[in-house]
Amino acid sequence: MAGPAGVWLLVLLTEARAISYTVKLPQFEGPLDLLLSLVQQGQVDLREVPLGRIAEDYLAAARTQLDLEEATEVLWMLAALIEMKSRLLVPKPTTPEEPLPEPEEPFDLNERLEEKLEEYRAFKEVATALRALEDYQHRVFARPETDDPNAVFLEGVSLDDLFRAFQQVLERAKDEVGEIPTEEVKVAERMEAILDLLGQHREGVLFSDLFKASATKLNVIVTFLALLELIKNRRIRAQQPQRFAAIRLMLVTA
Amino acid sequence: MTLPANLPPQPPELDLEELKKAAECVLLVSSAPVTVEHLVAALGTTPQIVHALVWELQQDYAGRGLQIQSLAGGFQLCTRPELAPYIQRFLQLDHREPLSRAALETLAIVAYRQPTTRAEVEAVRGVRSEHVLERLLERHLIREVGRKAALGRPILYGTTEGFLRYFGLKNLHDLPILESGDPRQALVAPTMQSSTAPE
Repeated sequence: MAGPAGVWLLVLLTEARAISYTVKLPQFEGPLDLLLSLVQQGQVDLREVPLGRIAEDYLAAARTQLDLEEATEVLWMLAALIEMKSRLLVPKPTTPEEPLPEPEEPFDLNERLEEKLEEYRAFKEVATALRALEDYQHRVFARPETDDPNAVFLEGVSLDDLFRAFQQVLERAKDEVGEIPTEEVKVAERMEAILDLLGQHREGVLFSDLFKASATKLNVIVTFLALLELIKNRRIRAQQPQRFAAIRLMLVTA
Repeated sequence: MTLPANLPPQPPELDLEELKKAAECVLLVSSAPVTVEHLVAALGTTPQIVHALVWELQQDYAGRGLQIQSLAGGFQLCTRPELAPYIQRFLQLDHREPLSRAALETLAIVAYRQPTTRAEVEAVRGVRSEHVLERLLERHLIREVGRKAALGRPILYGTTEGFLRYFGLKNLHDLPILESGDPRQALVAPTMQSSTAPE
């Protein structure tokens, strides 16, 4: 078994890259998960470790900054340590007569523990390798994805802007002498027409181009409703490079 | 090999230089890795030629600011890591937040053991992992791939294409191999072993 000095040196060396909660005690300084595995390996005498103080220190630290994930792990690890310590402290029943050879169970348990630990170490190693890949890839940039379903469909366009543009068009339509159109204008038809128009102009169409100069008020209103519907359904996208600039409408490509 | 008598009209001579430029353009305009199949379709040529073209492009980019990465089953034109500070300044991006240690460990277990259940992940880590798995699901690094035919039919998790892209991996066989011990044996679940491990 390695002497405590050796163990603590190891602790200090490993500590540098540990992210888990760090214990600072006169007897031990290092990440809590390391303490746990050292105890499990029998390299640290749990009787020397004041668990109450670790808990108090952690609670004090958690009061200023609480990471739920970390808290969960710390809680679990402390519970495991407390359980192990309590087993240590409870006096073992003195064995009558000659000490019975320990049944196989504890031996198996140790072996299984060792196996588990080995497995866990292997994954820690993999995690380190993945961390290096992550670090590389985090410094590599490619063209950002477009048209992803979470994208904002009204880029830089506020509802106000849309209505202001609408008012301007209405203003223009006002000059036309009111005449009740004989044919009805249907929102669905205007939606079709807008999609058709945008399909022919992949680079986009200006908002004002959507409303022909000769359009009647009804036509303008219905077209506007159709436009809102299409934006809501994420069929088209409205872009405005800056405030009060012309709004450009584009087909959303799947 | 003798040629059949009635050959279809020969295609005009392949202009490999032009195809190479075309491949470069396709990579430029794509926001996701472009698969060989897509390049084959776009360039109207064979997979062999596509591979050769991309390989040549990769050589051409040596010493330039861009590189062509082979990841997630395709190719992607992207920047070189040493230039990251400039890009970050331009895009006004902070340093990207790395995954937490717990998330990385959990992800490692899912990646090597997939398909795997929460209980299996927790057995290795020794801590509850529900929350971590949820976070990984939210980030689209893992996904539900089915349910295990066992008591309670627990959800099976596997990694996503986003996972490959996140770590710059070509495919799952590209996962790092451990140096110590007999890692593949320890890490690859029996179901995967039969189909992927050469032995």
